[in-house]
Amino acid sequence: MVALARKTLVHEWRRFLPAILAVGFASLLQLLQAALVLGIFGSASVYITGSSGDLWAGYPGTQSVNLGRPISEDVAMRLRMDPDVTRVEPFRWVDADWRGPRDTGGVSVFVSGIDTSPDAMMFSKALAPDLRARLNEPGAVIVDKADLDSLGVNIGDTAAINGQRVRVVGVGSGLRALGGVNIVASLDTARVLDIDPEDAGMMTYFVAKLRDPSKAKMIAGRLNGSDAFGPYTVWTSKDFARQSQLYWMLDTGAGAGVLFLAGIVFLVGAVITSQTLIAAVIGSIREYATLNALGVGRGALRKVIMEQAFWVGALGIVCSIVIGALLLVIARNRSVPMELHPLTAAVCLAVSMALAIVSGLATLRSLRSADPASLLR
Amino acid sequence: MSAAFETSPSPAPTLQARNVRKSFASGRIESTVLHDLTLDVRGGELTLIAGPSGCGKSTLLAILSGLQPADGGSVRALGHELSGLSLNELEHFRLQHTGFVFQGFNLFPALSALEQVELPLTYMGLGKGTARQRAIESLEEVGLGPRMQLRPAELSGGEKQRVAIARALAKRPELLFADEPTSALDAANGQIVIDILHRIARNHGTTVLCVSHDPRLVGHADRVLAMEDGRILSDHVPSVSPVIASEAKEPSA
Repeated sequence: MVALARKTLVHEWRRFLPAILAVGFASLLQLLQAALVLGIFGSASVYITGSSGDLWAGYPGTQSVNLGRPISEDVAMRLRMDPDVTRVEPFRWVDADWRGPRDTGGVSVFVSGIDTSPDAMMFSKALAPDLRARLNEPGAVIVDKADLDSLGVNIGDTAAINGQRVRVVGVGSGLRALGGVNIVASLDTARVLDIDPEDAGMMTYFVAKLRDPSKAKMIAGRLNGSDAFGPYTVWTSKDFARQSQLYWMLDTGAGAGVLFLAGIVFLVGAVITSQTLIAAVIGSIREYATLNALGVGRGALRKVIMEQAFWVGALGIVCSIVIGALLLVIARNRSVPMELHPLTAAVCLAVSMALAIVSGLATLRSLRSADPASLLR
Repeated sequence: MSAAFETSPSPAPTLQARNVRKSFASGRIESTVLHDLTLDVRGGELTLIAGPSGCGKSTLLAILSGLQPADGGSVRALGHELSGLSLNELEHFRLQHTGFVFQGFNLFPALSALEQVELPLTYMGLGKGTARQRAIESLEEVGLGPRMQLRPAELSGGEKQRVAIARALAKRPELLFADEPTSALDAANGQIVIDILHRIARNHGTTVLCVSHDPRLVGHADRVLAMEDGRILSDHVPSVSPVIASEAKEPSA
């Protein structure tokens, strides 16, 4: 079989370039948008995803991890009573006001009071044991290095949180949160910084480790049975993280925005691609008509067009993967929150291929003018 | 009517038109292009339909070759009645039995001469090897053997038209239709092309039906039909013997 579609594509690449670029840009936009949204809203659950706990216990009905309310310390007892729970750790969340040494005005911060022992679960993925140990000093805090500027501090500087004196003893990465600056402190420091009298003797969350993490869902269900230790709900960390991300995505309207933008990108890409393909078909319309005169059926000619659309899509997607990977690396080096899972990437690329195929289908109409009788003039 | 002009005992006609009518409407005005036209064309001959532009000769070619339906009358090609066939059946008929050469060469810029000729063959269901073999033979027959790897941009006008002829010829059609095949060519190349068409009719027994207003062709045809205003005015064998003419000017290729 003579590869008419591919040879034409190679020979007349200038003609097809706009279509390839349109698919490539559409694909790149979808990929980056998805990565950015997942990255930004993924940081809403950084407390959960940066930690190694399997279960989270918090106030009933909590929609997002940053909206926790105090629960009784007795809940920790309830968790420890379960035979499958190997470790329970408290987590104090304090909504606070930061005053830095430089003139930054008030900055809304979230203080995370965590266990400082080397094998603690909270932020185990973001803090190395030696960094964590520095939190034992009273008033010591750690911030993400990307947040230093907005806080107006450097390592070693002192500042005030809720009017109490704190000192930045180190910086970590992967600590950035959504909606405010995340500040990590020891449980003791956090208790001092928490000036709300309601919180006395209470904790925001309890994080539990399980002997067999694969049974998390079942054990969470079992623990949710009683209210004897005060009101609380237990989530698996996976569920709680997703719930927090979804809350932010829907609360900010970003979810709808993303879909809307994806639709626009698809439409614009499809218009450019189909127009380019139509121009290419019209440019060869006499040749197609000649083939039809020689008896090559319209179905076979349509197949040539669809094959061209497929290759345009494939080339565009390859371009977007190369550029997208490059941009992701750059973004990661600059602490831009971007995250792309293989499944999400696959969906984005599939949408781009669908764009090319839809454009190909739109192009088929122009083959109608490949009337061999029109060659007899 | 055609029987009266037959000059030699010949096989049954391969193309028969009976009372073919065709008219086109442009706005409210309907103009009749073919008036009850009846015609027989025989195999092994180069039949030329000559006439001024607008006389309906291209329309007649389109109807006889199954590219366009007639408004009335019947067309029989190789024993098949074309008037009742669907679009797909007509495509199939053309694929199996016909070749076309147009005034424009209509070659794909991306393909080499060999690939241009191979392309329709693969759609006929021929194997890769057979298609390649036939394409090479046809290109050699039109004298393009050494240039079969070149793309249209690297070929002259005459060579492009010869590729187009090879593309039609490689299908081994019983019917070969040519519409103004020499109009875009200079005298020498036009001569080569008409000689090739004539030779195809002679050597392969193909029915070659050529439409042209080019007076140079008249002397090379086996039979000339003069058309005017949608009617055939005369049907004659040209005075100069086409055999002698074509042998005298046989291209060296």
